[in-house]
Amino acid sequence: MTKLAVQDLHLSYGDNAILKGVSMALQQGEVVSLLGPSGSGKTTLLRAVAGLEVPLRGVIQIEDKPVFDGSKNFEVAAEKRNLGLVFQSYALWPHKTVFDNVAYGLKLRSVPSGEIKQRVDNALQNLGLGHLGDRLPHQLSGGQQQRVAIARALVYNPPVILMDEPLSNLDAKLREEARAWLRELILKMQLSALVVTHDQNEAMAMSDRILLLNNGVIEQQGTPEEMYGRPQTLFAADFMGSNNKIEGTVSEVRNGATLLAGPGWSLWGESRGGAKASGSKATAMIRLERVRVAEGPGENRVKLPLVTSMYLGDKWEYLFHLGEMRLRAYGRESLSTGEQWLEIPKNDLWVF
Amino acid sequence: MRASLPRVSVIGLTALAVFLPLGLIFYQSMLNAPFFMPNKTIGAGAFEFIFADSDFWDSFKNSLVIAGGMVLIAVPLGGILAFLMVRTDLPGRRWIEPLLLIPVFVSPMVLAFGYVVSAGPVGFYSVWAKQILGGVPWNVYSLTSIAIIAGLTHVPHVYLYSSSALKSLGSDVEEAARMTGSSPFQVARDVSLPMVTPSLLYSGVLVFFLGFEIFGLPLVLGDPEGHLVLATYLYKLTNKLGTPSYHLMAAVAVCIVAVTFPLVMLQRHLLKNAGKYVTVKGKAGRQRPLPLGQWRWVAAAIVALWLFLTIIVPLSGIALRAFVSQWGEGIKLSEVLTLDHFRTVFEQPTLVRGIVNTVLIGVVGGALAVACYTAVGLTTHRRNDGWARFVDYLVLVPRAVPGLLAGLAFLWVFLFFPPLAPLRGTIFSVWLAYTVVWLAYGMRLVSSSLLQVGPELEEAARSVGATRGQVNRHVTLPLIRFGLLASWLLVFMIFEREYSTGVYLLGPGTEVIGSLLVSLWSTGGADMVAALSLINVVLVAAGLTIALRFGVNLHD
Repeated sequence: MTKLAVQDLHLSYGDNAILKGVSMALQQGEVVSLLGPSGSGKTTLLRAVAGLEVPLRGVIQIEDKPVFDGSKNFEVAAEKRNLGLVFQSYALWPHKTVFDNVAYGLKLRSVPSGEIKQRVDNALQNLGLGHLGDRLPHQLSGGQQQRVAIARALVYNPPVILMDEPLSNLDAKLREEARAWLRELILKMQLSALVVTHDQNEAMAMSDRILLLNNGVIEQQGTPEEMYGRPQTLFAADFMGSNNKIEGTVSEVRNGATLLAGPGWSLWGESRGGAKASGSKATAMIRLERVRVAEGPGENRVKLPLVTSMYLGDKWEYLFHLGEMRLRAYGRESLSTGEQWLEIPKNDLWVF
Repeated sequence: MRASLPRVSVIGLTALAVFLPLGLIFYQSMLNAPFFMPNKTIGAGAFEFIFADSDFWDSFKNSLVIAGGMVLIAVPLGGILAFLMVRTDLPGRRWIEPLLLIPVFVSPMVLAFGYVVSAGPVGFYSVWAKQILGGVPWNVYSLTSIAIIAGLTHVPHVYLYSSSALKSLGSDVEEAARMTGSSPFQVARDVSLPMVTPSLLYSGVLVFFLGFEIFGLPLVLGDPEGHLVLATYLYKLTNKLGTPSYHLMAAVAVCIVAVTFPLVMLQRHLLKNAGKYVTVKGKAGRQRPLPLGQWRWVAAAIVALWLFLTIIVPLSGIALRAFVSQWGEGIKLSEVLTLDHFRTVFEQPTLVRGIVNTVLIGVVGGALAVACYTAVGLTTHRRNDGWARFVDYLVLVPRAVPGLLAGLAFLWVFLFFPPLAPLRGTIFSVWLAYTVVWLAYGMRLVSSSLLQVGPELEEAARSVGATRGQVNRHVTLPLIRFGLLASWLLVFMIFEREYSTGVYLLGPGTEVIGSLLVSLWSTGGADMVAALSLINVVLVAAGLTIALRFGVNLHD
């Protein structure tokens, strides 16, 4: 069952177009991440679904019932959409206790007080907050506040839960734990969730599907593996993962492969994003972890000067110069400076 | 330690200007006769006299009733108004905002006079009402009317505090409530208003405090039926015993300060909590106003009614009265139109001097006052020692002394210390009193500018070798110059509006419009009062227009 559907949504602030025709769908029990750089419109899309922003045109449906239809000038107020929203700042009401924060949505729905108590206690228990009901928000740690914000959005069983950068207010170490915990919670409670994030690792770890937004349109969407392994545009390729970019001139195109060359080097790569004519400029991209230090010359190998090796704890990162460009690679040991052979596997070098 | 000499002298002079007049009031209150009489003795006679006077207790009770009534009217209306203006799609918000400030900056004396000529027994609106309804269904001279008018004209004070609290409240907490299913009304009731409660509480105490010291409204409106409040009781005492009964006035003054001083301390305490829920976020989300739906026009009608009663009724009355020779039943407006009042005003040297002095004290005096406030502000800027804490409390003391008392106290200072006597007949005496009376207000303006200077800018200057004095001159003051200009404008308007402080200092050479209004009113010169009031309103309006034109933040 489709929990949430958005069709051709447009939204502007004055003359400044934020969303330029976005369509997406969210199925029952699915987690979809809205990923993109700042200003790409991901938070605006989430807020439009929530009813906190008014689109210019397009359609938003929740459980197949329209909540916004630009052509009919139809709009359901935010409070009538029955969605759960977890704010980036958590937005806990500082004058209400944890219990009252969570219970508020049930009170508005005229749930009998005995049932409210039971459901709130249950929600707090589920989120590991069982003993904190009487506290005020400022008496909680950041991680606990985040759980209260989630409990508050879940307690009345909304069809879709919306999360706006739910982990960004936590410090780096806590964030990784919270990410695993949140994924577990979503699976356990079979939630349908739309999550905004600007962190690609977070998006890949938490979601079943990723929507990559760029400048108000969807650049690409797919499973985390598709997004990481088969990006269709240079933007998508570059946004996911840590990358080397190599700029050069196309010197030959054959069987879906392109030979890219520069002063003193030439490399074969997979052609992506349409065929390039010989002699045109092109950009190739390869993930850092795919570049390999090799013993000697071979196919698709180049000899480059090593500038420095940086120790990262679990590995070393090497920095090479390729003409004006910089090339980075990972390895297991410290390398002495000087010339090194690098292998750039043909299948992993994508020429756009 | 070289730099601390100017600091200590600024603090010392301020303390002198604050405590000398106040000390004189306390000293005088403990004498059995005015201090210049040879037969004065120490004793509680003055207190015994006023405590035995039933008028004193009546006026005390009236003050309580008016102050309480004002709180009951102004706090709910101000809170609702702030919510409507800041958070909803109330029609016409943009042009209502500047109108809201009018009752704050127009002299209460002028407003009170406006109510008399508009809604008094033969006022313009009363006569029109009589023609239509056959009778006047209101009486502006009753105690209830005074409380209602005072309450309505103090709505903006509550509005200013609660709206700035609402504006600094992150919109996310309200959006969170809407997401869980609250209607706009429920959002206001369950989230917005509880979160600005500290500000509402503060402004409630402020309004009660202002109600306790109001003078102009009860002087004008309470007179016909003999309703006295403490300030007007004090004013009437002047002539009670024939001779200047300074000891009795001092005793009343001490009683007033005994009530206002704790209120000022309470305000200070509450103000510290007022920002409790304020979350200034770097990312100011574009906020969508809450749709009021069908309530939109009901809310607009209520706001329009308030604007009509509080601003249009009194100001239109003054504007009309200044151009008619007389008014009453059966008089045609076209037959009585005249410019005579203004001709008379400009023929009388006293009144012309009053207008010139008022402009001077606003423009030049305002600039000098801001310079003084800045000097005091710099003594506490980025310091947290005993001196800074002392100044913190020092500047609050004049706040507890109503203008009428402060003017009286400065009169005594000039009489008591013969070397100062030559200053008494000059406008300097009025300026000094004004500057001390508005010390707390001015300090708030200056220190909010000072706090906007990033501490690292000053620290950087010190680290390259500037002394504290050089930092002030080369970094801090240049950075806050626009803030100081804005403060000058606000102090200008406050000084134009001020009326009670000059009452006892009024004499040849020290006339200002405010005190002239009080004195002309007591001698029944309604024509002159109308013309001068209109001139006063025009001066304030000029300041307000410039302030709005340059986008001066009219409230911190």
